[in-house]
Amino acid sequence: MKKQTVGQSMDRVDGRLKVTGGARYFADHQPEGMLYAALVCSPVSSGRITAIDATKALRAPGVADVVSHLNAPPVPGYKVENPNPKQGLKIFHDDRIYSNGQPVAIVVANTLERAVYAASLVKVTYAQEVHQTDMAHSMDQAFQNKNMKDYLRGEADAWKKAPVSVEAEYNIPIEVHNPMELAGIIAHWETPDKLTLYAKTQGVKSVQQSLKTLFQLPESQITVHSQFVGGAFGMALRIWPMEIATILAAKKIRKPVKLVITRKDMFTLVGYRPAAKQRIGIGATAEGKLTGITHEAVANTSPYEDFTEAIVNMSRMMYACPNVNTHYQLVPLNLSTPVWMRGPGEATGAFALESAIDELAHKLHMDPLQLRLVNHADIDPERNLPYSSKYLKEAYEMGAAKIGWQQRSQTPGKLEENGWLVGYGMSSGVFGAGRGRATASATLKADGSLVVRSAAADIGPGTATAMVQIAADATGIDVKKIKFLLGESEYPEAPRQGGSSTVSTVGSAVNDVCRNLQQKLGELATANIPAFKDLKAENIQHEDGQLVAGNTRLDYAALLQQQQLPELVVTTTSQAGDERKQYAMYSFSVHFAKVQVHPATGVVRIKHIVSVADSGTVVNSKTARSQMIGGVVGGIGMALTEEALIDHRFGRYVNNNYADYHVPVNADTPPTDVLFINKKDPVINPMGAKGMGEIALIGFAAAVSNAVFNATGKRVRDLPITPDKLI
Amino acid sequence: MSQAPNENPSCPGKKDKHEARRDFLKQSSALMALALTPPLVVKAGEHDETIAGLFEKMPVSMEINGKAYQLSVEPRVTLLDLLREQLHLTGTKKGCDHGQCGACTVHVNGQRINSCLTLAVMQEGKKITTIEGLAQGDTLHPVQEAFIKHDGFQCGYCTPGQIMSAVACIREGHAGSPEEIREFMSGNICRCGAYDNIVAAITEVKQGGHTV
Amino acid sequence: MNQFSYVRPASQQAAIDAITRDSSARFIAGGTNLLDLMKNGVLAPEKLVDINRLPLKNITLNNNILHIGALTLNSEVAAHPLVKTHHPLLSQVLLAGASQQLRNMATTGGNMMQRTRCSYFYDITMPCNKRTPGSGCSAIGGINRMHAIFGASDQCIAVHPSDMCIALVALDATVLVAGPKGNRRIPFGEFHRLPGNTPDKDNNLGKGELITGIEIPHSPFTQNVYYLKVRDRASYAFALVSVAAALDISNNTIRGARLAMGGVAHKPWRLHEAEKTLIGKSPTADNFRIAATVATQSARTYQHNAFKVPMAQNSIVTALQKAAAV
Repeated sequence: MKKQTVGQSMDRVDGRLKVTGGARYFADHQPEGMLYAALVCSPVSSGRITAIDATKALRAPGVADVVSHLNAPPVPGYKVENPNPKQGLKIFHDDRIYSNGQPVAIVVANTLERAVYAASLVKVTYAQEVHQTDMAHSMDQAFQNKNMKDYLRGEADAWKKAPVSVEAEYNIPIEVHNPMELAGIIAHWETPDKLTLYAKTQGVKSVQQSLKTLFQLPESQITVHSQFVGGAFGMALRIWPMEIATILAAKKIRKPVKLVITRKDMFTLVGYRPAAKQRIGIGATAEGKLTGITHEAVANTSPYEDFTEAIVNMSRMMYACPNVNTHYQLVPLNLSTPVWMRGPGEATGAFALESAIDELAHKLHMDPLQLRLVNHADIDPERNLPYSSKYLKEAYEMGAAKIGWQQRSQTPGKLEENGWLVGYGMSSGVFGAGRGRATASATLKADGSLVVRSAAADIGPGTATAMVQIAADATGIDVKKIKFLLGESEYPEAPRQGGSSTVSTVGSAVNDVCRNLQQKLGELATANIPAFKDLKAENIQHEDGQLVAGNTRLDYAALLQQQQLPELVVTTTSQAGDERKQYAMYSFSVHFAKVQVHPATGVVRIKHIVSVADSGTVVNSKTARSQMIGGVVGGIGMALTEEALIDHRFGRYVNNNYADYHVPVNADTPPTDVLFINKKDPVINPMGAKGMGEIALIGFAAAVSNAVFNATGKRVRDLPITPDKLI
Repeated sequence: MSQAPNENPSCPGKKDKHEARRDFLKQSSALMALALTPPLVVKAGEHDETIAGLFEKMPVSMEINGKAYQLSVEPRVTLLDLLREQLHLTGTKKGCDHGQCGACTVHVNGQRINSCLTLAVMQEGKKITTIEGLAQGDTLHPVQEAFIKHDGFQCGYCTPGQIMSAVACIREGHAGSPEEIREFMSGNICRCGAYDNIVAAITEVKQGGHTV
Repeated sequence: MNQFSYVRPASQQAAIDAITRDSSARFIAGGTNLLDLMKNGVLAPEKLVDINRLPLKNITLNNNILHIGALTLNSEVAAHPLVKTHHPLLSQVLLAGASQQLRNMATTGGNMMQRTRCSYFYDITMPCNKRTPGSGCSAIGGINRMHAIFGASDQCIAVHPSDMCIALVALDATVLVAGPKGNRRIPFGEFHRLPGNTPDKDNNLGKGELITGIEIPHSPFTQNVYYLKVRDRASYAFALVSVAAALDISNNTIRGARLAMGGVAHKPWRLHEAEKTLIGKSPTADNFRIAATVATQSARTYQHNAFKVPMAQNSIVTALQKAAAV
């Protein structure tokens, strides 16, 4: 039998396209007759549009139209009046301005330069109203909705009675996904009721569903192409108002229209990680046994949608603690709606919880690794269920050995290298290991090649590569003869790429459709091939792309050729079963950081990172490592550099560009060791893979801030840890 | 050295009156076009912007990936937008349009630059190399090979810029150590965070002594 | 961007004439700042005069004076043997700025002409006296973490963003200018301006004047030099504060000292008084600390940038220690 493919370090199947410029992202398409769009966005943060004068813009060369609420085609879906006022921003529906940067018109012209210039000629007047973008001044507006119930296990606020306790407040600012690829869309109404889109999305089917409702079209009339996505990190999990604006302009003008938004607009139009203010109270016995955790969080949302995520959830289940209560509220601000950003709410919450654990360990004069081991949860304390798999203790051990944890001083500020203070820090991360429902089709061709299709997305982790490996192991066909196609709405149903679940969900469908293909081949053989006549299809052995009966081996390709079948197509839907009610399923991570802090300037340099993932089976060790180091870089940004700043007087971002919003650059990143437990989860799915996109980031920022404390004795509870906070 | 174009005679040079200038330009262009051109163009001029466009464009010649181009572009068109929108060389990416990310990196006369912050008309007589011009037919450039081997990317969007920058980084002699590579590759942001792998890829090519 | 006309004059005189004739015309060299500003709508020239083909791209040493043509690229200056040998500080500061791609585009003259990076200057929807005189300074009372602690006015608290200019002011360079009225020389320290009541004017160039080059006089600062740039990320970021330090040390005594700072004022900020405290002293941390205290005596801070005073002091001490290699 040939070697198993899953677990190997395989080059990406789309690598060649990506290194030659041949990979086509949405904006690289150019349907015939395509026009260019540019947005006119509001410089006021709350109020109404009183007039739009597009005369000059319409007179400018090449301008096809200026579309706004005054002349946009109706959106049938808007008419369904919902009693809930929080039903999202209905772009170009009325004159209402909710946030700075909200699009008020879209200008379409025959060249990009002309569209952009004409947009500057549109004069919009506003009746400005009072806005509020500062969470600190809106705490009286805090509320809960039905998705944010309080949690209580045991006694509330039990930490207050503990012999040793810590209470602290942690703040994270707004962070922006800022994928390298600018967002936008190409919209083309091929007929008045047939829409074709080139989109930047984490789910083509999800886009199709949203538009089906809004434009009241059957799915078959909406085609979404999105084969390559230039990063997203959550921002492309939903359709945004600017995309609807483009679709409306294309409908009015009856030509394909391309919109690519500016980097500045990436801060206001496509979501962000909300600002969060968190308070943790945590208490333990003198021996370090946790007795109570209280975790309260307030995060911002927009005026027109409630965005909720799992900020406080990690505190409920990470540690064995008898008394836990959590409380989570939202504050509406005159900003656009947030959206999940890598690691989402769990990363926000983990910064607070894992910092508090470190603070408690310091107060207990205890090694923070030891404190975590003492309070290790052997079963899920929230649901009282056994784990499907959990190797967190091994992960702690591996990471500590690799970073040289024994060199850490329990007393802060004791280590120095070349005039820099040295500190070690650690943290843990956890994220639910999901499995959804997906469908895949497998087409075996008479030449022996296999094409598997599913409407999955790939925002960078290497989905197609992993799926080819899974299909290769399931069928025994060589990886070189397998293609996995994704990113087309005409393909079988797959969920959005998010929540670290693509391999689990789509991979299961790929595995299962391959098994069903083998079953079909077996049936063909038993019905038609003498050597297989006495066997049942399900009892036939399959090896290396062949059916085996005793000494007879029959190539799949030969079988199809003999039966004069050009191809054999099988479609299978796959989803989780009851096992999810019997087990708690989580991926775990452990992060270790060694930092240097320059005492004179406050500059922090990360010298070494070790991240360990307990994510079940690693399907591709090369791309998995890349995903983990990517999470580390994102975590460095969260810890040290990233903060979207708003001037609250204007309600406007002041660092809305790549020069002033500091995404880490190459020189910010240290050598990084990624270690995998790489043990199959026996329950979650046929591959035993638990997912790692989120855990790569979750907890990371706390490892850095804990290391900074260990180096300096200064506890920074407000991210990012910029030099000014350390001098 | 190229010819210096004459100044545009239709520019009245009035300050802060772009619109007056525009209208004037459109009128004068149309009038001049009527005076100077055969009926064919006049017919095309039923949209006066077509004629205005003719007068607002300038000729420019350059060599891109070994191929000579004689082009006519508006002076405000950046090299990046020329490559992507007019020549359909979409391998070069727009990540910020302000010289802050490096996704648009190309080589001009062998030097790496940000194509978003230079005008197409400024490239008269220059030799441009984009990601599409790096491989020799089906044979990938050693840096392209190394990026695949070391997985120097995830989403792939910054990759053309990273690779163009990496090739130049080696040629410049700035790939002597991981630290030097990290510093001299810091003009290329990778939000997926593939930096460690990018450094490994560049190091391998440098140490392999390949001609880049 | 607005539509504009583009000319490429064949001679320096033709270039100056083109600008002098047309009040909304601008020179373009590297374009890295000008096009950025045009894309943001901060500037909308009706004509660009491309000077890149003028013969101003040279680095020569005559009578121990280093001449750098205005069109010499930042990357070329940084890597040039004459610069590395005679003025290593200049090489260091250039490599601390921007990215290699931008250094391959940006010119010596253009670097000096950079506008501030103040967010309010760049965003045309918010008031800014530098962009629109009389509209107000949004940074005062706004987000001013990056802003000036020296020499600001109630009209403007923006800082000059260049690294290169910090070395040039420290090295007593001279700016060579050609214009409609002929050539003139401007001492580097007098080239850029403080904001005062005219923050819209960054420098003392007159209409139609063109920077043709700079001269750097011979100096003894070839060994003990250091540029410390403190920033929010390790590379490709503007300075929170930066310090250029150059020392001439013999027999453990400081014979000459140059100190200048970036990220702290509307112009490259030379620290003459602090330099004086060092002359004749030994290169010790205590003496460096005295210089740093003197250097920051006139500091005035705003809501978010008070950290710059201790950071500046510590950075001066650190830069001097690095320069002295003690």
